Amino acid sequence: MNDTISVRLSPADVSFEAERGRPLRGPLALHGVDLPCGGAAACGGCRIRVLAGTLTPTVVDRQSLTARELAEGWRLACKARAESDVVLEVQHRTIPVLADDRPIPAGRRRGLGIAVDVGSTTIAAQLIDLANGAVLGVRTALNPQVAEGADVMSRVRFALNSRALTERIRTFLGAMLGDLAGRNAGRVVEVALVGNTVMHHLFCGIDVAPLSHAPFASSCLGEQRFSAGALHWALPNETIVRFLPCLGGFVGSDILAGIVAVDLGRDQGLRALVDLGTNGEIAVGNRDRILVASTAAGTAFEAGAIRQGMRAATGAISRVDVEGSELRCTVLGGGDPIGICGSGVIDAVAVGLETGAINAKGRIVTGSRRFPLANGIELVQADIRELQLAKGAIAAGLHILLRQWGASADDLRTLYLSGAFGNDVRPRSAIRIGLLEVPPDRVVVSGNTALHGTKMLLCADEAPRLAAIDHVMLAADGRFEEAFVAKMSFPARRGED
Amino acid sequence: MQNKDMREEEMIDLKKLYDAILNGDAKTSVAVTRQAIEAKCDPSEVINGTMIPAMAEVGRLYEDEEYFVPEMLLSARAMKGALELLRPLLLNAGGKPTGRVIIGTVQGDLHDIGKNLVISMLEGAGFDVTDLGIDVAPETFIAAIRERQPHIVGMSALLTVTMPAIKTTIDAILAAGVRDQVKIMIGGAPVTKEYAKEVGADGYSVNASVAVSVAKRMLNIGIA
Repeated sequence: MNDTISVRLSPADVSFEAERGRPLRGPLALHGVDLPCGGAAACGGCRIRVLAGTLTPTVVDRQSLTARELAEGWRLACKARAESDVVLEVQHRTIPVLADDRPIPAGRRRGLGIAVDVGSTTIAAQLIDLANGAVLGVRTALNPQVAEGADVMSRVRFALNSRALTERIRTFLGAMLGDLAGRNAGRVVEVALVGNTVMHHLFCGIDVAPLSHAPFASSCLGEQRFSAGALHWALPNETIVRFLPCLGGFVGSDILAGIVAVDLGRDQGLRALVDLGTNGEIAVGNRDRILVASTAAGTAFEAGAIRQGMRAATGAISRVDVEGSELRCTVLGGGDPIGICGSGVIDAVAVGLETGAINAKGRIVTGSRRFPLANGIELVQADIRELQLAKGAIAAGLHILLRQWGASADDLRTLYLSGAFGNDVRPRSAIRIGLLEVPPDRVVVSGNTALHGTKMLLCADEAPRLAAIDHVMLAADGRFEEAFVAKMSFPARRGED
Repeated sequence: MQNKDMREEEMIDLKKLYDAILNGDAKTSVAVTRQAIEAKCDPSEVINGTMIPAMAEVGRLYEDEEYFVPEMLLSARAMKGALELLRPLLLNAGGKPTGRVIIGTVQGDLHDIGKNLVISMLEGAGFDVTDLGIDVAPETFIAAIRERQPHIVGMSALLTVTMPAIKTTIDAILAAGVRDQVKIMIGGAPVTKEYAKEVGADGYSVNASVAVSVAKRMLNIGIA
């Protein structure tokens, strides 16, 4: 007989049981607690508060929290273990997940299909009629792997010693898709999944060791097929489940699907796709040739790197505008802000650059060295530096890809912004801070291109004709470092030196 | 020309060098250093009296969050321009470096910039530094220890997945029988003081500027 305790979360008022002595971070992550550094106790970003019951402070709690905070009941979720019945204060966050409702060209396929965008942070799945691409159902969810870290490298590290992530994602998706298909399950003929190389390897059970050190080159990048029966999914045994192929390095099939979705290779004109999600992938090319690369963008815009940063969820400042001499902040879900998300950070810095509170070198020039926004939410100097590192990497990545392709930003007809973060961010602000170096009229905010492209691939009569797609390792380009450093600074105000 | 006038001229020149390094102005830094050499300034005086204090100020500005990576790199470039002209003269005059350091990013890791900043700050403090590069195998570290006989070995890792290579390298240095000939300093974003203790390193530095004081402490050099 298991000795279990019950955990109740406030204010969401959900409860779950846990075996005494077991770590709580897994279920807590699934209920919305961010684990920015993946449970390494390095960031303090996972704090929760004990309202009733006991959680004895751990060594790490004592190192990370002040005596007063400990007395008030604050603990780090990543190290908490079930001890007694407890009531924990956890800001239950609803995270809007990007799905897709743009129409698909009709083909000759019949039956139902399921397209799944397995994002590092969020998963979006749609049940479609293969004859016309009509969406019959949608499910979205937080990727349960976030318990092992917000970034893919934390998960790679975990998976070096454990198959748990593979089992967990297969089980999770099985339940999610079985629920999505519902009484239509018998008509599902194919499931297509897309995601970055780490998502691909974890789902398919491929050894992640090659991804854990330079040159980060796995030899198993191809499409993998399973039968729903072999995966024990609640779909017909013979339903095909395929994880689409990776493009190279960490760039996966979600970018392939994105390239298809925006028709990057439609003609000789040069176009770019920038996915401002967790891994910052970029594709540049035309009908003849496409280059892809990934930069490490994600964690700079989420908790762990930005002091009061959080995911784009309820309570996050997502927009910052100037009205006369005042700042006006928009908060997701309304109410008082509890933090700031990526799009808010970019807006805030764009505003700061325009008002002169932040100079082109990234220095907050006001005496306090803080940039207050609303309700005690502010950016500090270190936050600006983190942003400079992330946006420098992306801007340099785009610059290097263009250079390797043999063109410049002026040659770009269109720059498609995709990914959850790419859809929240204001193009003008991204341009103002130098993250995107193109005129505003060339930027097209494109929604969930991974999901849309996957649906197109599912419904297509035959595989689309694609240009040669080559993966570029930015670290191996001798000019990357110089471009990275140069693009850390911000564009000056007009009229400034 | 009187000696006094010449010394005043020197002093003015060297303030220009100090400012050039602080402002990241490599062109001026090189020009002024040339003038100083022509005026027969003592090279080790230029290094100790001007270059090292300038880089120490750069380090302070970095720790104060005034300077960021681009400013550090520009100042480093200006400093290196001066150092390249002065170093050969120093060796001829029998000058000794503050200490000898070899440094590299560990096997499996390609990150560069942080390590390069550490190298610049150490050189700016008068250390003789050999850069082993990135993705450096333990054998390469060991060979360099035998060849260069450094006082300090620096190791950098920027990913949690490549951090274990620090331990592997230290263990290999131990197994090769050269561990007690050197002091080992580690650094990089995921590296912590606790991890340094865990893997048997002698020291840890949180950034390039702190690396200088850690290095000096390791060699028992008085700190200002």
